[in-house]
Amino acid sequence: MQLDFVNRELTVKLVYYGPALSGKTTNLQALHKAAEPGASGRLMTLETRDDRTLFFDLLPLTFRNQGSLAVRLKVFTVPGQVIHASTRRLVVQGADGIAFIADSRTVETQHNAESFIDLKENLKQHGLTLKQMPVVIQFNKRDLPEVRSDAEIAELASQGREPVYLAVAMRGQGVVESFVGLLHLTWSALDAEHDLNKKFGFDSEAFLATVAKKLGDARPLPEILGACVGGALDVLKPEAG
Amino acid sequence: MTLSAAPPKSLDDLTLGGDMSLEDLVSRDGLAEVIKSANELFGLPIRVFTEDGKLLADAADSIELYAYLNTSRAGRAALSEVVAAVKALAPGPDGEAHYTCVTGASYRVAAIVYDSRQIGRMILGPFLPDPNAEPPASLLGLDAQLDVENLRGLYRKLPRGDEQTVTNVARHLARVLDLLLFSGHRALLTSNMHLASVRESFRELEDKNQKLQVAYDRLKELDRLKSNFLATVSHELRTPLTSIIGYSEMLVEGLAGDLTKEQREFVQTIRDKGDQLLALIKGLLDLSKLESGTMSLRKNQVDVAVLVKDVVSTMAPTARKKEVELTFEVEKGLPLIWADAERLRQVLLNLTENAIKFTPVSGTVRLIAKITGMDATSGGDSGGMVLLGARRTGVEMRVVDSGIGIPESERSRVFDAFYQVDSSSTREAGGTGLGLSIVKRLVDGHDGSVRIEANQPRGSVFVVTIPVKRATIG
Repeated sequence: MQLDFVNRELTVKLVYYGPALSGKTTNLQALHKAAEPGASGRLMTLETRDDRTLFFDLLPLTFRNQGSLAVRLKVFTVPGQVIHASTRRLVVQGADGIAFIADSRTVETQHNAESFIDLKENLKQHGLTLKQMPVVIQFNKRDLPEVRSDAEIAELASQGREPVYLAVAMRGQGVVESFVGLLHLTWSALDAEHDLNKKFGFDSEAFLATVAKKLGDARPLPEILGACVGGALDVLKPEAG
Repeated sequence: MTLSAAPPKSLDDLTLGGDMSLEDLVSRDGLAEVIKSANELFGLPIRVFTEDGKLLADAADSIELYAYLNTSRAGRAALSEVVAAVKALAPGPDGEAHYTCVTGASYRVAAIVYDSRQIGRMILGPFLPDPNAEPPASLLGLDAQLDVENLRGLYRKLPRGDEQTVTNVARHLARVLDLLLFSGHRALLTSNMHLASVRESFRELEDKNQKLQVAYDRLKELDRLKSNFLATVSHELRTPLTSIIGYSEMLVEGLAGDLTKEQREFVQTIRDKGDQLLALIKGLLDLSKLESGTMSLRKNQVDVAVLVKDVVSTMAPTARKKEVELTFEVEKGLPLIWADAERLRQVLLNLTENAIKFTPVSGTVRLIAKITGMDATSGGDSGGMVLLGARRTGVEMRVVDSGIGIPESERSRVFDAFYQVDSSSTREAGGTGLGLSIVKRLVDGHDGSVRIEANQPRGSVFVVTIPVKRATIG
C-alpha cells in the first residue's frame, strides 16, 4: 500500500497468484472488460510468444469515492510456470491482498497445492505469513468436465479460513465476486492497521458497492459478498506484536 | 533514447506509480517526431512540456510576426508576458485551457495524462481561429515604432486553424501520446523486471554457491584427514614389517641354525610376501605424501637415454620370465631434462611393469624417448598452433605394449587412486591400483603430463612428457 497524503491518493496492490494456466490473466481480462470506461486503464500484459505471462499482467483501476480519497487499485498476475520462481517472488512483494486462482480439474489438484505452498514460501521470504495476508481462493474453470464437485469444495472450504469462490473466468462468471471479496478483505485489513475509514471519512461499504457497480455488478453488496463458499469475510485482525 | 543516471526505479515505483515522469516513459526523439509530423499535417505549432515546465519537444517554426515584435521594447515586453501566461496556463478539469494573446492569436493547452495523473502539457499555438480575422487594435497600437503595414502583412502569415480542428488535433495527439507512454512504460517495466529477475536469480545462485563451498571445504578437510591417516598408518605398518623381513632373512641365511628344505621354502615365502607388502606400503606412503604435498622432488639435469636403458635392464628378467620382448628406442641428441631421476625412474618402471603384466606371451613392450613440443601434445592442432606449438619443448617417453588395451571411456579414470579397469573379484591381473595414481602425481610434480593412447592393432601407449626447462610458474 502507498498513501499519498498530498494528493490524497491510496494505492493498493492486489496479486492474482496460482499455478500455470489456471486463468489468472483471464480473470484480469474479464475485469478489464467489465470495468466502466474511465475506471480502468489499459491492461498491460508482458507475455511470451506462446501467450504465457512472462512477468505479470497489470490492470490499473481508479475509484474516487464521495469522500476525497482516490483509491488506485493495481491488479497484478504472476507467471505460473515453475521456472519463474524469482519473478513471482518479486511481484508478490508488497502485495496487500492475494487472489489464488486454482484450476478446478481433479488432475490439477496437485499443481494447485504446489503453487499454494510456493506462495507461502515466497511470502515467508518477504517476512510475511499467510495469516497476515488477506487471501481469497477462486476455483476456476467450473464449466470443464472432471472437475472437483461443488460439494467437495464447499466441504473443504467450510473448514478453511479463506473465502472460496467458484468461477468460469472465460465467461466472466464469478470474477467480479472474487475481486470484490478480495477487496473487501484487503480493505478491512488495511483499515484495521491504518484506521483509514476514520482518518479519511471513508465509507468502505459504499466504496465497495461503487467498485462493484463500476465493474458491472449493481446487486447489493451483501449479495455479492454472499457468493463465496466457506471461509470468513470478517475483518482480519492484525497479528499482535 | 536518453538514459538518466538516476538509480533504477523499483518495481513498486514503476507499477504503483509514485513519481513516473514523462521523460522516463518516452524517448525525446520519438516524441519530437510525432509532434513534428502533426505539425506538418495541420500547420500548427506544437510544444510539449514536462510537468515541471521543461521543454521536451518542439515542433514550431519561428513566427515572423513575433520576430518583428521582438525588435521593439514594448513588443518584447508583450511577448514575454504571453510566454509567461501560456506557461502558467493550467488545464481545467476537461484537461484543456485557452489563451488569447495580445496579437489576437490563440493558444491551446492540453494536459498529458498517464495512469490518471497529469505528467506534462502540450501547447498548441499560436494560431488564428478566424481565417478572416484582421489584426486587433491591441497589436497595431502596441508600439508607434512598429510599421502598421508590416504588422498587417506578418499577421496574415500566422498559422490558422479553427477551434474544432485544434481540439481534434489536441485529442488525437493525446491519444497517440498515451499509446507512446503506455509502450514506454511497458518497455521500462519489462527491462526492469528482466534486471530484477536476473539479480534475484544471481542472489539465489550465490546462496547455493556458498552452501556448496562450505560442503566442499568440509570434504577437502575430510580428504586431508584421510591422507594424514593413510600416512600415519603406512608408517606404523612399516616399522614391524621391517622386523618381520629382517628376522625371516636371518632365518633364511641360517643365522639361527640350519633349516630343513621345507622350512627354508616357507620362510622364503614369508620374506617374499613381506617384500610385497613393504612395496605396497611404500606406495601408500608415497601417495599420501604426494597428496598432502609433503614429498619433495630433488630435481636435477637428467639424461633420459641413461634412464631408459637402466629401466630396460632392470625389467629385462621380468620380461624374459613372461616371454615378452622388451626393446627401446631413444632419439639421438635428446636434451637433458629437469627432473628427479629417482622418481622418474619409478614412473618408467611402473609403466613398464604394467605393460609387461598386461601383455600376453610373445608380445612386445617398447620404450621410446623423443623430443616434442609440449603444447602440441594435448590432442593435435586445436588452433593457434603457430603461436603455441613451439612454446616449450619436452621429452616424450612412450611405453608401448601389445596387451589388452584400455577402453577410451576408462582412460581418464585409471589415474585415480585405487581405480581398476577390471574391478571384479575374479580379475586376472593383481595390483592395488595405486601405481598409476602415483605415476600421475609424480608427473604432475614435474610440470609434465601423462596420457593414454591406443596402440594399433592392440594394446595401449602411455605417453609421459616432461619439459626440458624448469617451469617459470609454479
